[in-house]
Amino acid sequence: MVRSLLNGRFENTAFCLLAPDGKERLSRSGRAPEHSFSRRGPRSNSAEAEGVTVAAMEKVARKYEARGDASETVVQDFHSFRQALNVASGDQRLLLFVAAPQKDLASTARTLAPVMVDPRIIGRFHVDLIGDKGDEKWMDMVSDAEPSFGPSIYIIQSDKFGQTGTALKQLPANTNGDQIKSALLAANKTFASQEQRKVYSQHVSDGRRQGVYFEGGVEYGEDRDGDGKIDRRRGGGNGRRSGKR
Amino acid sequence: MKTLTMLALFVFAATAGCFAQGPTPGDLGASPQAVGDAGVAWYTTRETAIAEAERSNRPIFFMAAAATCNGISGVF
Repeated sequence: MVRSLLNGRFENTAFCLLAPDGKERLSRSGRAPEHSFSRRGPRSNSAEAEGVTVAAMEKVARKYEARGDASETVVQDFHSFRQALNVASGDQRLLLFVAAPQKDLASTARTLAPVMVDPRIIGRFHVDLIGDKGDEKWMDMVSDAEPSFGPSIYIIQSDKFGQTGTALKQLPANTNGDQIKSALLAANKTFASQEQRKVYSQHVSDGRRQGVYFEGGVEYGEDRDGDGKIDRRRGGGNGRRSGKR
Repeated sequence: MKTLTMLALFVFAATAGCFAQGPTPGDLGASPQAVGDAGVAWYTTRETAIAEAERSNRPIFFMAAAATCNGISGVF
């Protein structure tokens, strides 16, 4: 999908506005929002670029009349627990993780929907749900979780490099919305008071020193000439292929 | 409850990120947003994003990026 948005290239970011069907493009696509959403191209400073982006998004959004009740929203999910942990770490948000039999997931998601759009909750957490047959290895990545207690909702804090985590709270999967909300708010308050923002340069430096490596789904790097192959960087190689996984 | 006007879809692209065009890791500091504050409410699979967009009739802000820097995880 990234290649289709970037004329066959594969670059480190891609942005586009799409219609609700996920197919129709409502803007040009590009590697920065202001490149994509404005006819006038890049701006000289970030504030101007942000203004252009917001204005373009509002113009598109005005053409669509939102319908339905937000409390019935589809709950966020990830393709894998491993990915959820890493993204929660990158965003420095707590992860709400549900591990329950497949037949019970829909019920838990219905309970979570109004919780996750509460103004005190929305945008502060990531959510991942797994049923019986996915991500059995999640237990190996999380300490202080007790799967033997049965289907559960966990509030998990990812580690610095997003490859392991700690369960801060475990609730039965049938916990009501108000109790889940209270647990999330309390956990986020503690998290916010204890967690320091990562400094990107320091994080990458620490990661290199410690040999951290996250195995991606495809080879790391960019294909900026669009030939279908990841470009070689000066100095050889696109990244390390060994180290902590 | 009022719905938001646009929905955000995040797709994971396993790219080098910081080694591509633009700033190098040494140029980048910390996010100005306080930990615990609200940010974008992302949808992180295409399926859930489209299901929600169709349900609520909202357009999609699509973004692809990687939560790694040349394989070093835990950072955007």
